[in-house]
Amino acid sequence: MSIWESLRTAWQSIFANKLRSSLTMLGIVIGVCAVVLLVALGQGFQTSMTKTFNDMGASALYISSAPSKTVVGGIRPLTNEDVTALQDKNLVPAVSVVSPTRTNRGTASYGNNNASESLMGIMPVITKIRNYKMDQGRFLTDQDVTNRANVVVLGWQAEIDLFGAQAPGTTSPIGTYIRISGMKFQVVGTCQKFGGFAGDSYILMPLTTMQSKITGGDVVQQIGILASKPDQVDTAIAQVTAVLRARHFIRTVAGAADDFSITDMRETLNSMEATLAAFSLFMGAVGAISLIVGGIGIMNIMLVSVTERTREIGIRKAIGARRRDILIQFLIEAAALSLTGGLIGLGLAVGVAHAMGQITLGQTQVTPEISYSIVFIALGVSIGTGLLSGTYPAFRAGGLDPIESLRHE
Amino acid sequence: MTMIELTNLTKIYDTGELKVTGLDDISFKCDEGEMVSIMGHSGSGKSTMMNIIGCLDRPTSGTYHLDGVDVASLNDDQLAKIRNAKLGFVFQSYNLLPKISAQQNVALPLIYSGENHRQQRSMAALEAVGIAVRAKHLPSEMSGGEKQRVAIARALINNPKVILADEPTGNLDTATSHSIMSLFTELHKKGITIVIVTHEEDIASYTQRTIYVRDGKIIEEKKR
Repeated sequence: MSIWESLRTAWQSIFANKLRSSLTMLGIVIGVCAVVLLVALGQGFQTSMTKTFNDMGASALYISSAPSKTVVGGIRPLTNEDVTALQDKNLVPAVSVVSPTRTNRGTASYGNNNASESLMGIMPVITKIRNYKMDQGRFLTDQDVTNRANVVVLGWQAEIDLFGAQAPGTTSPIGTYIRISGMKFQVVGTCQKFGGFAGDSYILMPLTTMQSKITGGDVVQQIGILASKPDQVDTAIAQVTAVLRARHFIRTVAGAADDFSITDMRETLNSMEATLAAFSLFMGAVGAISLIVGGIGIMNIMLVSVTERTREIGIRKAIGARRRDILIQFLIEAAALSLTGGLIGLGLAVGVAHAMGQITLGQTQVTPEISYSIVFIALGVSIGTGLLSGTYPAFRAGGLDPIESLRHE
Repeated sequence: MTMIELTNLTKIYDTGELKVTGLDDISFKCDEGEMVSIMGHSGSGKSTMMNIIGCLDRPTSGTYHLDGVDVASLNDDQLAKIRNAKLGFVFQSYNLLPKISAQQNVALPLIYSGENHRQQRSMAALEAVGIAVRAKHLPSEMSGGEKQRVAIARALINNPKVILADEPTGNLDTATSHSIMSLFTELHKKGITIVIVTHEEDIASYTQRTIYVRDGKIIEEKKR
């Protein structure tokens, strides 16, 4: 008996019992739909996370003077002079971008609106690390830094806090003045939404303005640096450490701890990805359970079908069907049943994914992504489930005694 | 030439607790082209004999040669092939698959022998038994006599050496029974060996020879 003939026979039998076949398929439909949707959501989530992370500057190293170890002789904070030293290409050739920041919590006001925002003193070079996308106006310039100008760029949320949620293009906040610590600052630009965990409640101003007019002093809180090449990150860390230790008079003997710390965002990214992988695995497991349940359903129905069609099996054997022919017929029937269920489930998942469009998990926008690999895996798994759950019933059918079967009513 | 030859054939059913003798040292010969009937009451062993001749069952001891082949030495797949190619079955309850048409039922053995031209050959077989007009009908849409004709067409499709009919007229009225028996007689004239199991004397009278079976033994043989 050819495969083609078996497929036709299987199809006839599935079609002859429409209600039963569709109920049997339901388990696989739900299982495949669940697996595809969950994996698609997982992938969408991962894409969204990675994007947010990259916008935030995941490739950068962050130096801060918040050491985790106890330092003998006190901590020297990071200063403008440290920044200047790190900008020296002769001292730290492996570093290409040095972006110092000073952050302070502060209250900004416009008219009757007061909002507590994160005030960040920055250098324009920060755009090489963080992907600020301008909504209106311009970003801060070197000129602003030199002039210690009272100019600010508003984050998406800060703009809403101060100016209210307006329809785009009605009244532009550009050029208006807001008040911070009793001083007037002119808004020169607004940023687009970062979304995710990056947060949008920030107000950017030149680092020089921040240090001279708000915090005082020459301390910087954090220095973001970029290695000149991706494979030079470890060299950059070593060079930065050497320069800062020398500048902070930490003797180069064992046991003398750094009074600063360097955070490599790659580690955070890696652990994040591991978490996401575990998350995807968990989602997959949930889907797998529904597939197993669906598979058991198929096995159940195939067993019923074998009993119900004992006489048919007897007739087929009497006219020359071998054990193998019967076995393959039932296996193919199970596989066809679950493949059809898988196709329906896949279609359903694609439809639901489209209908969902974009959903919000916490603060993160997630668009489900259905990749070709999920499609192939889902269909492969549904055929596999059919074959696996069809095996026992098929062996039962193949092994039936023809005389007994012919007598079966 | 001998077509069917049973020699000292015994069949014992071992149910675990007790052994039931189905056939007790039976010897039987049937020549090619012969038309033979086997008669007996229920439980006499005639069905057991039919199952063994039909290669659906194996004897406990003794030998069975079909068309010169020692059937006892064959495995299940080889037996299936013999059933497909050399034997045609006709049953009391027709045993057609209910959800496919008459023609598809007739073509079924061709699927297992891997033959082509199934359409033409199944139509030809239906014509040979005079029921071609019903080719597209389901078994449930046909009368008993028509169903039995379809079953005979199915038995004929692979040009078998032997047709085995187990109470082929058991579910039919007298007139239809006789028309079915005339059909068997026609086939017999074409040279096919036919073995019919029955318990009706007037059905047996269509055959050249009748064997009477009781308690697993052949007790009488009548030639006509």
